[in-house]
Amino acid sequence: MLTLWRHRQVLRMLVLRDLQRQYTKFRLGYLWTIIEPLGMSIVLWFVFSMLLGPRKLGLQPYLLFLSVAILPWWWFTKGIAQMSGVFRKNKGELRISLLPTELWVLRILLVTMMEFILSLPVIIVAVILTRDVPGPLIVLFPLGIALQFVLMYGLGLLIASYAVVIPDLARIVRIAMRALFYLTPVLYSITNIPEHIRPYATLNPLVAPLGLYRVGWWPDEHESYLHYGISLVLCLVIFGVGWWAFKRHEPRILKEA
Amino acid sequence: MPHVPLTPDLGAVVSFEGAGVRLPKLNRRKVGRSRNRLKRIRGDVARDEIWFVRDATFSLQPGEALAIVGHLNSGRDQLLRLAAGTLIADEGTVRRSVPIVPLVGLGGALGGSYTVRQNIYLLGSLLGMTQAEIVERLPGIVERADVGKILDKFLGDSSRLVRGRIAWSIAMATQAPAFAISQALTVGQPSFQQQCWEIVEERHAAGVSFLVVSDKPSELKRFCDRAILIDEGRVLADTTVEDALDRLKDIPPPKDQVHFVIDDDDDDDDAELI
Repeated sequence: MLTLWRHRQVLRMLVLRDLQRQYTKFRLGYLWTIIEPLGMSIVLWFVFSMLLGPRKLGLQPYLLFLSVAILPWWWFTKGIAQMSGVFRKNKGELRISLLPTELWVLRILLVTMMEFILSLPVIIVAVILTRDVPGPLIVLFPLGIALQFVLMYGLGLLIASYAVVIPDLARIVRIAMRALFYLTPVLYSITNIPEHIRPYATLNPLVAPLGLYRVGWWPDEHESYLHYGISLVLCLVIFGVGWWAFKRHEPRILKEA
Repeated sequence: MPHVPLTPDLGAVVSFEGAGVRLPKLNRRKVGRSRNRLKRIRGDVARDEIWFVRDATFSLQPGEALAIVGHLNSGRDQLLRLAAGTLIADEGTVRRSVPIVPLVGLGGALGGSYTVRQNIYLLGSLLGMTQAEIVERLPGIVERADVGKILDKFLGDSSRLVRGRIAWSIAMATQAPAFAISQALTVGQPSFQQQCWEIVEERHAAGVSFLVVSDKPSELKRFCDRAILIDEGRVLADTTVEDALDRLKDIPPPKDQVHFVIDDDDDDDDAELI
Protein backbone atom coordinates (compact mmCIF):
# COMPACT_ATOMS: atom_id res chain seq x y z
CA MET A 1 0.00 0.00 0.00
CA LEU A 2 2.97 2.22 0.68
CA THR A 3 4.16 1.60 -2.86
CA LEU A 4 0.84 2.88 -4.08
CA TRP A 5 1.41 6.20 -2.41
CA ARG A 6 5.12 6.58 -2.94
CA HIS A 7 4.98 5.84 -6.63
CA ARG A 8 1.64 7.44 -7.36
CA GLN A 9 3.06 9.62 -10.10
CA VAL A 10 4.51 6.74 -12.08
CA LEU A 11 1.36 4.73 -11.52
CA ARG A 12 -0.90 7.54 -12.61
CA MET A 13 1.15 7.89 -15.75
CA LEU A 14 1.12 4.18 -16.51
CA VAL A 15 -2.59 3.87 -15.88
CA LEU A 16 -3.53 6.91 -17.95
CA ARG A 17 -1.38 5.65 -20.77
CA ASP A 18 -2.86 2.18 -20.68
CA LEU A 19 -6.37 3.57 -20.76
CA GLN A 20 -5.49 5.92 -23.54
CA ARG A 21 -3.99 3.08 -25.52
CA GLN A 22 -7.08 0.96 -25.08
CA TYR A 23 -9.40 3.75 -26.04
CA THR A 24 -7.49 4.62 -29.17
CA LYS A 25 -7.23 1.02 -30.28
CA PHE A 26 -10.92 0.56 -31.08
CA ARG A 27 -13.15 2.82 -33.10
CA LEU A 28 -15.76 3.14 -30.40
CA GLY A 29 -13.09 3.72 -27.79
CA TYR A 30 -14.51 4.50 -24.39
CA LEU A 31 -18.00 3.40 -25.41
CA TRP A 32 -16.85 -0.21 -25.21
CA THR A 33 -16.39 0.19 -21.49
CA ILE A 34 -20.13 0.83 -21.35
CA ILE A 35 -21.40 -1.40 -24.12
CA GLU A 36 -19.71 -4.59 -22.98
CA PRO A 37 -21.16 -4.81 -19.45
CA LEU A 38 -24.45 -3.24 -20.48
CA GLY A 39 -24.89 -5.77 -23.25
CA MET A 40 -24.06 -8.59 -20.87
CA SER A 41 -26.50 -7.32 -18.27
CA ILE A 42 -29.28 -7.10 -20.85
CA VAL A 43 -28.61 -10.61 -22.17
CA LEU A 44 -28.62 -12.11 -18.69
CA TRP A 45 -31.64 -10.08 -17.66
CA PHE A 46 -33.49 -11.28 -20.73
CA VAL A 47 -32.64 -14.93 -20.10
CA PHE A 48 -33.25 -15.03 -16.38
CA SER A 49 -36.10 -12.61 -16.13
CA MET A 50 -37.99 -12.90 -19.38
CA LEU A 51 -37.34 -16.37 -20.74
CA LEU A 52 -37.30 -18.25 -17.48
CA GLY A 53 -40.16 -16.24 -16.09
CA PRO A 54 -40.40 -14.34 -12.84
CA ARG A 55 -38.89 -16.83 -10.46
CA LYS A 56 -37.42 -16.05 -7.12
CA LEU A 57 -33.97 -15.33 -8.55
CA GLY A 58 -32.33 -12.17 -7.32
CA LEU A 59 -34.21 -9.13 -6.21
CA GLN A 60 -36.34 -6.68 -8.14
CA PRO A 61 -35.85 -4.77 -10.38
CA TYR A 62 -33.69 -7.53 -11.77
CA LEU A 63 -31.92 -5.51 -14.49
CA LEU A 64 -30.61 -3.10 -11.89
CA PHE A 65 -29.84 -5.90 -9.45
CA LEU A 66 -27.79 -7.60 -12.13
CA SER A 67 -25.87 -4.62 -13.45
CA VAL A 68 -24.82 -3.46 -9.99
CA ALA A 69 -22.98 -6.77 -9.53
CA ILE A 70 -21.93 -7.43 -13.13
CA LEU A 71 -19.74 -4.33 -13.29
CA PRO A 72 -17.59 -5.15 -10.26
CA TRP A 73 -17.47 -8.79 -11.34
CA TRP A 74 -16.20 -7.62 -14.71
CA TRP A 75 -13.48 -5.66 -12.93
CA PHE A 76 -12.61 -8.70 -10.84
CA THR A 77 -12.43 -11.18 -13.66
CA LYS A 78 -10.55 -8.87 -16.04
CA GLY A 79 -8.00 -7.93 -13.44
CA ILE A 80 -7.39 -11.41 -12.09
CA ALA A 81 -7.14 -12.94 -15.56
CA GLN A 82 -4.28 -10.61 -16.46
CA MET A 83 -2.35 -11.33 -13.28
CA SER A 84 -0.95 -14.67 -14.39
CA GLY A 85 0.95 -13.10 -17.26
CA VAL A 86 1.93 -9.83 -15.68
CA PHE A 87 5.63 -10.47 -15.07
CA ARG A 88 6.11 -12.30 -18.35
CA LYS A 89 4.61 -9.38 -20.24
CA ASN A 90 6.76 -6.79 -18.52
CA LYS A 91 10.10 -8.51 -19.05
CA GLY A 92 11.73 -5.53 -20.66
CA GLU A 93 10.75 -3.24 -17.83
CA LEU A 94 11.64 -5.68 -15.05
CA ARG A 95 15.16 -6.04 -16.37
CA ILE A 96 16.05 -2.44 -15.71
CA SER A 97 13.42 -1.19 -13.33
CA LEU A 98 14.67 0.17 -10.04
CA LEU A 99 11.07 0.51 -8.87
CA PRO A 100 9.34 -2.06 -6.68
CA THR A 101 8.23 -5.17 -8.51
CA GLU A 102 4.66 -5.07 -7.19
CA LEU A 103 4.16 -1.95 -9.30
CA TRP A 104 3.15 -4.06 -12.28
CA VAL A 105 0.45 -5.82 -10.32
CA LEU A 106 -0.83 -2.50 -9.06
CA ARG A 107 -0.88 -1.15 -12.58
CA ILE A 108 -3.26 -3.84 -13.83
CA LEU A 109 -5.35 -3.45 -10.74
CA LEU A 110 -5.68 0.29 -11.19
CA VAL A 111 -6.31 0.16 -14.93
CA THR A 112 -9.15 -2.32 -14.49
CA MET A 113 -10.46 -0.33 -11.53
CA MET A 114 -10.53 2.84 -13.61
CA GLU A 115 -12.42 0.97 -16.31
CA PHE A 116 -14.88 -0.15 -13.67
CA ILE A 117 -15.37 3.38 -12.44
CA LEU A 118 -15.73 4.64 -15.99
CA SER A 119 -18.38 2.00 -16.61
CA LEU A 120 -20.55 3.15 -13.70
CA PRO A 121 -22.83 5.13 -16.06
CA VAL A 122 -24.30 1.70 -16.87
CA ILE A 123 -25.80 1.67 -13.38
CA ILE A 124 -27.14 5.16 -13.94
CA VAL A 125 -28.77 3.96 -17.15
CA ALA A 126 -30.27 1.04 -15.25
CA VAL A 127 -31.52 3.38 -12.52
CA ILE A 128 -33.22 5.55 -15.13
CA LEU A 129 -34.74 2.54 -16.88
CA THR A 130 -36.07 1.03 -13.68
CA ARG A 131 -36.78 4.34 -11.88
CA ASP A 132 -35.37 2.89 -8.69
CA VAL A 133 -33.34 5.53 -6.84
CA PRO A 134 -30.97 4.21 -4.14
CA GLY A 135 -31.36 5.01 -0.48
CA PRO A 136 -28.83 6.65 1.86
CA LEU A 137 -26.83 3.44 2.30
CA ILE A 138 -25.42 4.06 -1.20
CA VAL A 139 -22.60 5.85 0.64
CA LEU A 140 -21.22 2.36 1.33
CA PHE A 141 -20.55 1.89 -2.39
CA PRO A 142 -16.97 3.29 -2.22
CA LEU A 143 -16.30 1.01 0.73
CA GLY A 144 -17.13 -1.91 -1.55
CA ILE A 145 -14.55 -0.63 -4.04
CA ALA A 146 -11.92 -0.38 -1.31
CA LEU A 147 -12.63 -3.88 -0.06
CA GLN A 148 -12.54 -5.36 -3.55
CA PHE A 149 -9.27 -3.52 -4.18
CA VAL A 150 -7.60 -5.12 -1.15
CA LEU A 151 -8.94 -8.52 -2.11
CA MET A 152 -7.77 -8.24 -5.71
CA TYR A 153 -4.37 -6.91 -4.69
CA GLY A 154 -3.77 -9.91 -2.46
CA LEU A 155 -5.15 -12.40 -4.92
CA GLY A 156 -3.27 -10.73 -7.77
CA LEU A 157 0.07 -10.92 -5.98
CA LEU A 158 -0.59 -14.55 -5.13
CA ILE A 159 -1.50 -15.55 -8.67
CA ALA A 160 1.19 -13.43 -10.31
CA SER A 161 3.89 -14.95 -8.10
CA TYR A 162 2.89 -18.56 -8.49
CA ALA A 163 2.22 -18.22 -12.22
CA VAL A 164 5.93 -17.59 -12.65
CA VAL A 165 6.75 -20.93 -11.04
CA ILE A 166 3.79 -22.84 -12.47
CA PRO A 167 2.87 -21.61 -15.96
CA ASP A 168 -0.21 -23.84 -15.92
CA LEU A 169 -1.76 -21.61 -13.30
CA ALA A 170 -3.19 -19.31 -15.98
CA ARG A 171 -5.45 -22.12 -17.18
CA ILE A 172 -6.42 -23.14 -13.68
CA VAL A 173 -7.37 -19.57 -12.85
CA ARG A 174 -9.60 -19.43 -15.90
CA ILE A 175 -11.57 -22.46 -14.80
CA ALA A 176 -11.69 -21.25 -11.22
CA MET A 177 -13.08 -17.90 -12.33
CA ARG A 178 -15.88 -19.61 -14.18
CA ALA A 179 -16.79 -21.66 -11.15
CA LEU A 180 -16.58 -18.62 -8.95
CA PHE A 181 -19.02 -16.74 -11.16
CA TYR A 182 -21.74 -19.21 -10.32
CA LEU A 183 -20.71 -19.58 -6.71
CA THR A 184 -20.90 -15.85 -6.13
CA PRO A 185 -24.17 -14.00 -5.68
CA VAL A 186 -24.02 -12.12 -8.97
CA LEU A 187 -26.99 -13.57 -10.80
CA TYR A 188 -28.80 -14.26 -7.57
CA SER A 189 -29.06 -12.82 -4.10
CA ILE A 190 -27.42 -14.29 -1.05
CA THR A 191 -30.95 -14.67 0.31
CA ASN A 192 -31.73 -17.13 -2.49
CA ILE A 193 -29.33 -19.60 -0.93
CA PRO A 194 -31.04 -22.04 1.43
CA GLU A 195 -30.50 -21.06 5.01
CA HIS A 196 -28.55 -24.12 6.08
CA ILE A 197 -25.77 -23.62 3.53
CA ARG A 198 -25.73 -19.83 3.63
CA PRO A 199 -22.92 -19.65 6.22
CA TYR A 200 -20.64 -21.49 3.80
CA ALA A 201 -21.57 -19.11 0.99
CA THR A 202 -20.46 -16.17 3.07
CA LEU A 203 -16.97 -17.65 3.16
CA ASN A 204 -16.66 -16.30 -0.37
CA PRO A 205 -14.70 -13.06 0.08
CA LEU A 206 -16.57 -11.44 -2.81
CA VAL A 207 -19.83 -11.53 -0.89
CA ALA A 208 -19.00 -8.48 1.19
CA PRO A 209 -17.98 -6.10 -1.60
CA LEU A 210 -20.97 -7.14 -3.71
CA GLY A 211 -23.21 -6.67 -0.70
CA LEU A 212 -21.82 -3.20 -0.12
CA TYR A 213 -22.52 -2.24 -3.72
CA ARG A 214 -26.10 -3.44 -3.50
CA VAL A 215 -26.99 -2.30 -0.01
CA GLY A 216 -28.07 1.17 -1.23
CA TRP A 217 -30.97 -0.33 -3.15
CA TRP A 218 -31.70 -3.45 -1.13
CA PRO A 219 -30.87 -2.61 2.51
CA ASP A 220 -32.34 -5.83 3.85
CA GLU A 221 -30.47 -8.21 1.53
CA HIS A 222 -28.09 -9.02 4.33
CA GLU A 223 -29.65 -9.89 7.62
CA SER A 224 -26.40 -9.94 9.52
CA TYR A 225 -23.33 -7.79 9.57
CA LEU A 226 -21.44 -10.94 10.41
CA HIS A 227 -21.18 -11.57 6.65
CA TYR A 228 -19.22 -8.39 6.25
CA GLY A 229 -17.01 -9.23 9.19
CA ILE A 230 -16.12 -12.67 7.88
CA SER A 231 -15.54 -11.34 4.40
CA LEU A 232 -13.39 -8.47 5.60
CA VAL A 233 -11.17 -10.77 7.63
CA LEU A 234 -10.89 -13.09 4.62
CA CYS A 235 -9.88 -10.23 2.33
CA LEU A 236 -7.15 -9.21 4.77
CA VAL A 237 -5.94 -12.79 5.16
CA ILE A 238 -5.77 -13.21 1.39
CA PHE A 239 -3.84 -9.98 1.14
CA GLY A 240 -1.37 -11.20 3.76
CA VAL A 241 -0.89 -14.54 2.04
CA GLY A 242 -0.49 -12.84 -1.34
CA TRP A 243 2.13 -10.47 -0.01
CA TRP A 244 4.03 -13.29 1.65
CA ALA A 245 4.01 -15.38 -1.54
CA PHE A 246 5.14 -12.41 -3.57
CA LYS A 247 8.04 -11.57 -1.28
CA ARG A 248 9.07 -15.20 -1.21
CA HIS A 249 9.10 -15.50 -4.99
CA GLU A 250 10.48 -12.10 -5.86
CA PRO A 251 13.99 -13.39 -6.74
CA ARG A 252 12.39 -15.94 -9.03
CA ILE A 253 10.13 -13.33 -10.59
CA LEU A 254 13.08 -11.14 -11.47
CA LYS A 255 14.66 -14.09 -13.26
CA GLU A 256 11.81 -14.06 -15.74
CA ALA A 257 13.24 -10.91 -17.30
CA MET B 1 13.44 1.86 -4.18
CA PRO B 2 12.46 -0.83 -1.77
CA HIS B 3 13.48 -3.69 -3.93
CA VAL B 4 17.02 -2.39 -4.33
CA PRO B 5 18.28 -2.13 -0.76
CA LEU B 6 21.27 0.11 -0.16
CA THR B 7 24.05 -0.19 2.39
CA PRO B 8 25.23 3.42 2.63
CA ASP B 9 28.24 2.77 4.87
CA LEU B 10 29.74 0.18 2.54
CA GLY B 11 33.14 1.40 1.38
CA ALA B 12 32.71 0.16 -2.17
CA VAL B 13 30.07 1.14 -4.70
CA VAL B 14 29.08 -2.48 -5.02
CA SER B 15 30.52 -5.52 -3.36
CA PHE B 16 30.00 -9.15 -4.39
CA GLU B 17 30.72 -11.82 -1.80
CA GLY B 18 30.45 -15.33 -3.16
CA ALA B 19 27.41 -14.29 -5.16
CA GLY B 20 25.70 -16.69 -7.51
CA VAL B 21 22.48 -16.86 -9.42
CA ARG B 22 20.84 -19.69 -11.28
CA LEU B 23 18.31 -19.18 -14.00
CA PRO B 24 15.68 -21.54 -15.28
CA LYS B 25 16.26 -22.81 -18.73
CA LEU B 26 14.26 -25.11 -20.91
CA ASN B 27 16.37 -27.59 -22.79
CA ARG B 28 15.00 -29.55 -25.61
CA ARG B 29 16.46 -32.99 -25.38
CA LYS B 30 16.98 -35.19 -28.38
CA VAL B 31 13.71 -36.85 -29.03
CA GLY B 32 15.04 -39.85 -30.90
CA ARG B 33 12.63 -42.56 -31.76
CA SER B 34 10.93 -42.81 -28.49
CA ARG B 35 8.11 -45.25 -28.36
CA ASN B 36 6.39 -42.99 -25.97
CA ARG B 37 4.05 -40.95 -28.15
CA LEU B 38 3.43 -38.39 -25.47
CA LYS B 39 7.15 -37.74 -25.23
CA ARG B 40 7.35 -37.28 -28.97
CA ILE B 41 4.68 -34.63 -28.87
CA ARG B 42 6.16 -32.80 -25.95
CA GLY B 43 9.62 -33.07 -27.46
CA ASP B 44 10.83 -34.06 -24.03
CA VAL B 45 11.57 -30.67 -22.64
CA ALA B 46 13.69 -30.57 -19.54
CA ARG B 47 13.21 -27.77 -17.07
CA ASP B 48 16.70 -27.21 -15.82
CA GLU B 49 18.31 -24.54 -13.78
CA ILE B 50 21.72 -23.32 -14.76
CA TRP B 51 24.12 -21.30 -12.68
CA PHE B 52 24.80 -18.16 -14.67
CA VAL B 53 27.03 -16.65 -12.01
CA ARG B 54 28.81 -18.68 -9.38
CA ASP B 55 30.84 -17.67 -6.37
CA ALA B 56 31.66 -14.17 -7.59
CA THR B 57 33.71 -12.06 -5.21
CA PHE B 58 34.91 -8.62 -6.19
CA SER B 59 34.08 -5.00 -5.59
CA LEU B 60 33.80 -1.78 -7.50
CA GLN B 61 35.38 1.21 -5.78
CA PRO B 62 34.03 4.74 -6.12
CA GLY B 63 35.21 6.45 -9.28
CA GLU B 64 36.39 3.22 -10.86
CA ALA B 65 35.53 1.88 -14.31
CA LEU B 66 35.57 -1.89 -14.20
CA ALA B 67 35.42 -4.01 -17.35
CA ILE B 68 33.64 -7.36 -17.25
CA VAL B 69 35.55 -9.38 -19.83
CA GLY B 70 34.02 -12.59 -21.08
CA HIS B 71 32.34 -14.25 -24.00
CA LEU B 72 28.70 -13.93 -24.86
CA ASN B 73 26.57 -16.01 -22.46
CA SER B 74 29.35 -16.15 -19.91
CA GLY B 75 27.14 -14.50 -17.34
CA ARG B 76 28.28 -10.93 -17.94
CA ASP B 77 24.86 -9.37 -18.20
CA GLN B 78 23.62 -11.30 -15.18
CA LEU B 79 26.55 -9.91 -13.23
CA LEU B 80 25.49 -6.40 -14.17
CA ARG B 81 21.90 -7.05 -13.21
CA LEU B 82 23.00 -8.47 -9.88
CA ALA B 83 25.02 -5.32 -9.29
CA ALA B 84 22.08 -3.08 -10.10
CA GLY B 85 19.74 -5.20 -8.01
CA THR B 86 17.31 -6.11 -10.79
CA LEU B 87 18.30 -9.70 -10.12
CA ILE B 88 18.61 -11.15 -6.62
CA ALA B 89 21.46 -13.52 -5.78
CA ASP B 90 20.58 -17.12 -4.86
CA GLU B 91 23.77 -17.54 -2.85
CA GLY B 92 26.22 -15.14 -1.33
CA THR B 93 25.50 -11.45 -1.09
CA VAL B 94 25.60 -8.39 -3.30
CA ARG B 95 25.57 -5.10 -1.49
CA ARG B 96 25.66 -1.63 -2.93
CA SER B 97 26.03 1.77 -1.35
CA VAL B 98 24.40 3.84 -4.10
CA PRO B 99 21.77 3.16 -6.73
CA ILE B 100 23.30 1.75 -9.90
CA VAL B 101 21.49 2.46 -13.14
CA PRO B 102 21.42 -0.64 -15.35
CA LEU B 103 21.81 -0.15 -19.08
CA VAL B 104 21.13 -3.76 -19.99
CA GLY B 105 18.78 -4.17 -22.92
CA LEU B 106 17.39 -0.71 -22.32
CA GLY B 107 15.53 -0.60 -25.61
CA GLY B 108 13.32 -3.46 -24.41
CA ALA B 109 11.58 -1.19 -21.97
CA LEU B 110 10.47 1.28 -24.63
CA GLY B 111 6.92 0.79 -25.83
CA GLY B 112 5.98 1.31 -29.45
CA SER B 113 2.43 2.27 -28.60
CA TYR B 114 3.57 5.21 -26.52
CA THR B 115 4.77 8.52 -27.83
CA VAL B 116 8.41 9.45 -27.51
CA ARG B 117 7.59 11.87 -24.73
CA GLN B 118 5.65 9.21 -22.84
CA ASN B 119 8.53 6.80 -23.27
CA ILE B 120 10.92 9.32 -21.80
CA TYR B 121 8.69 9.70 -18.75
CA LEU B 122 8.25 5.97 -18.43
CA LEU B 123 11.87 4.92 -18.74
CA GLY B 124 12.99 7.87 -16.66
CA SER B 125 10.71 6.76 -13.83
CA LEU B 126 11.83 3.16 -14.10
CA LEU B 127 15.41 4.29 -13.73
CA GLY B 128 14.51 6.11 -10.56
CA MET B 129 13.95 9.71 -11.59
CA THR B 130 11.09 11.65 -10.05
CA GLN B 131 8.49 13.36 -12.18
CA ALA B 132 9.91 16.78 -11.34
CA GLU B 133 13.41 15.74 -12.33
CA ILE B 134 12.20 14.44 -15.66
CA VAL B 135 10.33 17.64 -16.40
CA GLU B 136 13.43 19.62 -15.60
CA ARG B 137 15.77 17.46 -17.70
CA LEU B 138 13.43 16.84 -20.61
CA PRO B 139 14.94 19.51 -22.90
CA GLY B 140 18.39 18.05 -22.37
CA ILE B 141 17.23 14.51 -23.12
CA VAL B 142 15.38 15.62 -26.24
CA GLU B 143 18.37 17.52 -27.50
CA ARG B 144 20.82 14.72 -26.88
CA ALA B 145 18.61 12.07 -28.43
CA ASP B 146 17.73 14.45 -31.28
CA VAL B 147 14.02 13.62 -31.15
CA GLY B 148 12.64 17.16 -31.07
CA LYS B 149 10.65 16.60 -34.25
CA ILE B 150 9.07 13.31 -33.21
CA LEU B 151 8.57 14.08 -29.53
CA ASP B 152 4.80 13.68 -29.67
CA LYS B 153 4.69 10.99 -32.32
CA PHE B 154 4.35 7.34 -31.47
CA LEU B 155 7.62 5.51 -31.16
CA GLY B 156 6.01 2.74 -33.19
CA ASP B 157 8.43 0.76 -35.28
CA SER B 158 11.16 3.35 -35.27
CA SER B 159 14.64 2.04 -35.78
CA ARG B 160 16.95 0.59 -33.20
CA LEU B 161 19.14 3.61 -33.67
CA VAL B 162 16.46 5.98 -32.47
CA ARG B 163 15.52 3.71 -29.58
CA GLY B 164 19.13 3.40 -28.55
CA ARG B 165 19.58 7.15 -28.63
CA ILE B 166 16.48 7.76 -26.53
CA ALA B 167 17.34 5.11 -23.96
CA TRP B 168 20.90 6.25 -23.66
CA SER B 169 19.97 9.90 -23.27
CA ILE B 170 17.50 9.10 -20.53
CA ALA B 171 19.98 6.91 -18.68
CA MET B 172 22.57 9.66 -18.68
CA ALA B 173 20.01 12.17 -17.48
CA THR B 174 19.54 10.18 -14.26
CA GLN B 175 22.90 11.61 -13.11
CA ALA B 176 23.36 8.46 -11.06
CA PRO B 177 26.59 7.92 -9.15
CA ALA B 178 27.10 4.54 -10.85
CA PHE B 179 26.14 2.82 -14.09
CA ALA B 180 26.19 -0.76 -15.30
CA ILE B 181 26.51 -0.63 -19.08
CA SER B 182 26.14 -3.56 -21.42
CA GLN B 183 26.71 -3.04 -25.12
CA ALA B 184 24.74 0.16 -24.83
CA LEU B 185 27.38 1.99 -26.74
CA THR B 186 27.19 -0.23 -29.77
CA VAL B 187 23.99 1.33 -31.03
CA GLY B 188 23.82 4.45 -33.10
CA GLN B 189 25.98 6.05 -35.70
CA PRO B 190 29.70 6.41 -35.00
CA SER B 191 29.24 10.09 -34.28
CA PHE B 192 26.63 9.35 -31.61
CA GLN B 193 28.77 6.62 -30.11
CA GLN B 194 31.66 9.01 -29.99
CA GLN B 195 29.48 11.50 -28.19
CA CYS B 196 28.40 8.84 -25.68
CA TRP B 197 31.95 7.91 -24.91
CA GLU B 198 32.82 11.51 -24.32
CA ILE B 199 30.00 11.81 -21.82
CA VAL B 200 31.06 8.61 -20.09
CA GLU B 201 34.63 9.80 -19.87
CA GLU B 202 33.53 13.14 -18.56
CA ARG B 203 31.41 11.48 -15.88
CA HIS B 204 34.19 9.07 -15.04
CA ALA B 205 36.57 11.97 -14.52
CA ALA B 206 33.98 13.52 -12.21
CA GLY B 207 34.01 10.43 -9.99
CA VAL B 208 31.11 8.35 -11.35
CA SER B 209 31.67 4.58 -11.26
CA PHE B 210 31.05 2.22 -14.16
CA LEU B 211 30.71 -1.48 -14.81
CA VAL B 212 31.19 -2.06 -18.51
CA VAL B 213 30.45 -5.03 -20.77
CA SER B 214 31.51 -4.62 -24.37
CA ASP B 215 32.59 -6.80 -27.25
CA LYS B 216 34.95 -4.11 -28.49
CA PRO B 217 38.38 -4.50 -26.85
CA SER B 218 39.38 -1.00 -27.95
CA GLU B 219 36.59 0.56 -25.91
CA LEU B 220 37.50 -1.37 -22.80
CA LYS B 221 41.19 -0.58 -23.14
CA ARG B 222 40.55 3.08 -23.63
CA PHE B 223 38.14 3.49 -20.82
CA CYS B 224 38.46 0.93 -18.01
CA ASP B 225 40.89 0.93 -15.11
CA ARG B 226 40.57 -2.71 -14.16
CA ALA B 227 38.98 -5.88 -15.44
CA ILE B 228 37.26 -8.99 -14.21
CA LEU B 229 37.65 -12.05 -16.39
CA ILE B 230 34.60 -14.26 -16.35
CA ASP B 231 33.87 -17.59 -17.96
CA GLU B 232 30.85 -19.81 -17.47
CA GLY B 233 29.76 -17.67 -14.58
CA ARG B 234 32.99 -17.89 -12.63
CA VAL B 235 35.33 -15.03 -11.99
CA LEU B 236 38.73 -16.22 -13.18
CA ALA B 237 40.82 -13.15 -12.54
CA ASP B 238 40.77 -9.63 -11.19
CA THR B 239 43.45 -7.96 -13.26
CA THR B 240 44.32 -5.30 -15.82
CA VAL B 241 42.23 -4.83 -18.93
CA GLU B 242 45.06 -5.91 -21.27
CA ASP B 243 45.77 -9.04 -19.31
CA ALA B 244 42.11 -10.01 -19.15
CA LEU B 245 41.66 -9.51 -22.89
CA ASP B 246 44.80 -11.55 -23.60
CA ARG B 247 43.63 -14.40 -21.43
CA LEU B 248 40.18 -14.30 -22.97
CA LYS B 249 41.75 -15.31 -26.30
CA ASP B 250 42.80 -18.63 -24.74
CA ILE B 251 39.30 -19.40 -23.54
CA PRO B 252 37.17 -21.15 -26.13
CA PRO B 253 33.85 -19.43 -26.68
CA PRO B 254 30.96 -21.44 -25.33
CA LYS B 255 29.40 -23.88 -27.72
CA ASP B 256 26.28 -22.52 -29.27
CA GLN B 257 23.88 -23.23 -26.51
CA VAL B 258 20.71 -23.11 -28.47
CA HIS B 259 18.21 -23.34 -25.77
CA PHE B 260 14.60 -23.91 -26.24
CA VAL B 261 12.40 -20.88 -25.92
CA ILE B 262 8.65 -21.04 -25.86
CA ASP B 263 7.21 -18.01 -27.60
CA ASP B 264 4.21 -16.97 -25.80
CA ASP B 265 1.87 -14.69 -27.55
CA ASP B 266 -0.89 -16.76 -26.08
CA ASP B 267 -4.14 -15.25 -25.03
CA ASP B 268 -4.23 -16.97 -21.69
CA ASP B 269 -5.19 -13.85 -19.90
CA ASP B 270 -8.15 -12.81 -21.95
CA ALA B 271 -11.01 -12.31 -19.61
CA GLU B 272 -14.35 -13.84 -20.28
CA LEU B 273 -17.37 -13.12 -18.23
CA ILE B 274 -18.72 -16.60 -18.06
